[in-house]
Amino acid sequence: MGKGRGTSKFSLLAVILLFCLYPLFSNFYWTDVAFFFGVYALLGLSLNIVLGETGLFDLGHAAFYAIGAYITAILNTLYGIPIIWLIPLSAIGAGLFAYVVTSPIIHLRGDYLCVVTIGIGEIVRLALINNPFGLTGGPNGITGVGRPSLGPFLIDSPTRFYFYVWGILVIVIICLIRLQRSRIGRAWNYLREDDIAAETSGIDVRHFKLLAFVVGAALAGVAGNIYASKLMIVSPDTFTFMESSMLFCIVMLGGLGSIPGSILGAGIITVFPEIFRIVANYRMLFFGGALVLTMIFRPGGIWPRKREAVGLRIGDIDDVKGKVKGKLQLIDQNRNIKKKKARGKNDPSVPNIIGNHILTTDKLTMTFGGLVAVNEFDLAVSQEKITSIIGPNGAGKTTVFNVVTGIYKPVSGRVYFEGNDITGLKPHKIAELGLARTFQNIRLFPNLTCIENVMAGLHHRMNSYVLSSIVRTESQRAEEKWALEIATHWLEKTGLGDVHDELAKNLPYGKQKLLELARALSSSPRLLILDEPSSGLNDKETEELMVFLESLLEEQNLTILLIEHDMNVVMGISHWVVVMDMGMKIAEGTPKEIYNHPKVIEAYLGREE
Amino acid sequence: MIILEQLLNGLTIGSFYALIALGYSMVYGVMKLINFAHGDLFALGSYLGYSLLIWGAGAASQRFGLWGGMIAALLFSFFAVGCAGVLMERVAYRPVQKSGRLPLVVSALGASIFLQNSIMAIWGPRYQAYPASVVPTHAIHLGWLHVTIMQLFILILSFILMLTLYYIVQKTTFGAAIRATALDREMATILGVDVRKITLFIFFLGPALGGVAGVMNGMYYRQISFVMGWNYGLKAFTATILGGIGNIPAAMLGGLLLGTVEMFGAAYISSAWKDVFTFLILIIILIFRPTGLIGEKVAEKV
Repeated sequence: MGKGRGTSKFSLLAVILLFCLYPLFSNFYWTDVAFFFGVYALLGLSLNIVLGETGLFDLGHAAFYAIGAYITAILNTLYGIPIIWLIPLSAIGAGLFAYVVTSPIIHLRGDYLCVVTIGIGEIVRLALINNPFGLTGGPNGITGVGRPSLGPFLIDSPTRFYFYVWGILVIVIICLIRLQRSRIGRAWNYLREDDIAAETSGIDVRHFKLLAFVVGAALAGVAGNIYASKLMIVSPDTFTFMESSMLFCIVMLGGLGSIPGSILGAGIITVFPEIFRIVANYRMLFFGGALVLTMIFRPGGIWPRKREAVGLRIGDIDDVKGKVKGKLQLIDQNRNIKKKKARGKNDPSVPNIIGNHILTTDKLTMTFGGLVAVNEFDLAVSQEKITSIIGPNGAGKTTVFNVVTGIYKPVSGRVYFEGNDITGLKPHKIAELGLARTFQNIRLFPNLTCIENVMAGLHHRMNSYVLSSIVRTESQRAEEKWALEIATHWLEKTGLGDVHDELAKNLPYGKQKLLELARALSSSPRLLILDEPSSGLNDKETEELMVFLESLLEEQNLTILLIEHDMNVVMGISHWVVVMDMGMKIAEGTPKEIYNHPKVIEAYLGREE
Repeated sequence: MIILEQLLNGLTIGSFYALIALGYSMVYGVMKLINFAHGDLFALGSYLGYSLLIWGAGAASQRFGLWGGMIAALLFSFFAVGCAGVLMERVAYRPVQKSGRLPLVVSALGASIFLQNSIMAIWGPRYQAYPASVVPTHAIHLGWLHVTIMQLFILILSFILMLTLYYIVQKTTFGAAIRATALDREMATILGVDVRKITLFIFFLGPALGGVAGVMNGMYYRQISFVMGWNYGLKAFTATILGGIGNIPAAMLGGLLLGTVEMFGAAYISSAWKDVFTFLILIIILIFRPTGLIGEKVAEKV
């Protein structure tokens, strides 16, 4: 690995050298082409955060670019504020704008979000044309934007602009790489891969989607500032739907979530038309054809991000594999304080049935249209015991889980967890309180490595944010190390130590189930909810799973609630069994009692005539 | 009476939107793809109709008569653009389909850029104008109401086309197969629906209707440009969402509604800001009723 890093360092050095020498060997025209390459690289990277890292379809990104450019142009021409100072202002302005306009629409998914962003892009462009308050200069835009200067050093020639934009770009790239390999970057990836799994693992999906838009827009705003000062004019024609489409293509050409990919994509978009300038009228025609061909032959982009090869090398935290024995501190200090606070807020109106029950539901009802999936369902899960819910298909078992974990809001009834009313709380809040789950049809983050999958469970127990991740503060690194150790611990505990850096989607079914379990366990939950943990496992694997679950109960002070169809599992490890049919509880008791219960036999086998 | 005339103007432009929207909606239904090149197919139709009408020594209308020339242009555009649509599916979409949604979007954007620039390369970057001699220009007066023959023709033809399509999709077995494919492609395949045939049909008919809309648009406004596809495409797409994507009657309703709203918006609020209102309406609809006005809600299974 050391050798690989050496050669990559060498080639990086060569690339940097090449970039420094480039203007010496090129004329002004080609230096300008390289300048625009830089601007588009910045834009591509900014959209990559939204589209590539977070998976949000944004086809109106030019709007944020426009906001940055116009803020610069207006403030510079009206008040003569120096361009350099306007860089942060443009970033903040564009970010703020993104926050305001995407807040109400952030819950939309896929194509709907795509449509809305197209709409936002068009509204911004049309508004600029219509010259609101006489600020934007209408269709002709604003002329006379000044040039940036670094102290006494005025940036005016193509060569200076070239170094200016690439200098900024290098800083941005370093920040983005650090962000990508931090809690923030992982959170973005989690919700790109599966936002429901992310939410139930304790990630505030809405917050991180908005954050992606804000950071992406801020970066586009910086690009707008640079663009305005270079051309000395801004006009609405630049910020069309076509421009947004181009940015979209940059990210897709390079590869989703790939930083070098986005830069490469920007290079292709800017250099390609220049090379084909000889056939001026046909160059965009070729370009359109090339886009189609690339998607046919390289749908994943030209330079996709290779996660599994890189693993999680984060600064000085190399690899903790095999080094964690002994000193694991599974419960961190902060958490205990939080927990006590939560307990302190006990609602006196909570019914007394709770007793030593960690989870209770009170007349829980859930309907879909006219169908009553769960009907006045009462459940009490005893602390540090294994409770099973059984019942025929369609009895409403999974719906109960989805209501308890906050994915659905119940029509009526309440859910109490450790004495707190958690009804209608968002899934990530419920996860934070110490409730983790797995899904019936495994929901992993398929394109992330196993260790990253497990680290998702630790997300809500970490605190580092954008700035501390970029600066890599002492506490941020300590936190990363802590998370990496715990995640590794759980990977090894579930027997997945050898697939540490493998992508989750490459694992066989049985191991995927274990990985999901490891992710749930890594958050040190006090209640673990498992939806058919043994389905798809063979007898031996099922046996191992049962042993493992029982060992958890002893070691972790854990409570387990599970849905299970395999009667060997149910009867073998449950302390208490609840039987559901048609959305209602028809019986409950110890496994032995349930085994011979007439109602249960009837539900499963039908009534004897 | 002015209100009635505005309404008629709105419905005319609305029927262009509706015809284009049908193509978006049908393609989205069976492929879950926003066909960004659809607007350019509409522009292609406009140009093909234009070429046919001025083709040969004299205008087509000199050979077939005024109405004969118009019908010939419409038919030609219908079939030619339909074939272009099928070809596009073959070349740009089918090979990418297995790779997922995002590459498909990029491929559609690529196809759009390709098509737009092909039009420019063939017919040149300047505006072209349908000659006045090839379309009826006189108007009729119904009481105080002033309607051009062209408007009437557009409204009637669009109405017939939409009614036919509605009949095919809602009342025939083949239509049921289309709807089944839109609901669940995999299940439809298992039940013996020839999804490939349906895709072919959709990619013929959708663009074909767009092509007809293109010719009518050219005849109505007379001036056409190679970039018109983006504009109309975006508007028609808005109309599709407005009604509810993937739903045929919804697309028609959305188109007509959008045209009317736009006309009244331009007349009574502000013509400079009318497009802003259009997109604001779109966003508001999506926030409060993401499935469109008459679309149905699809719940995600967890």
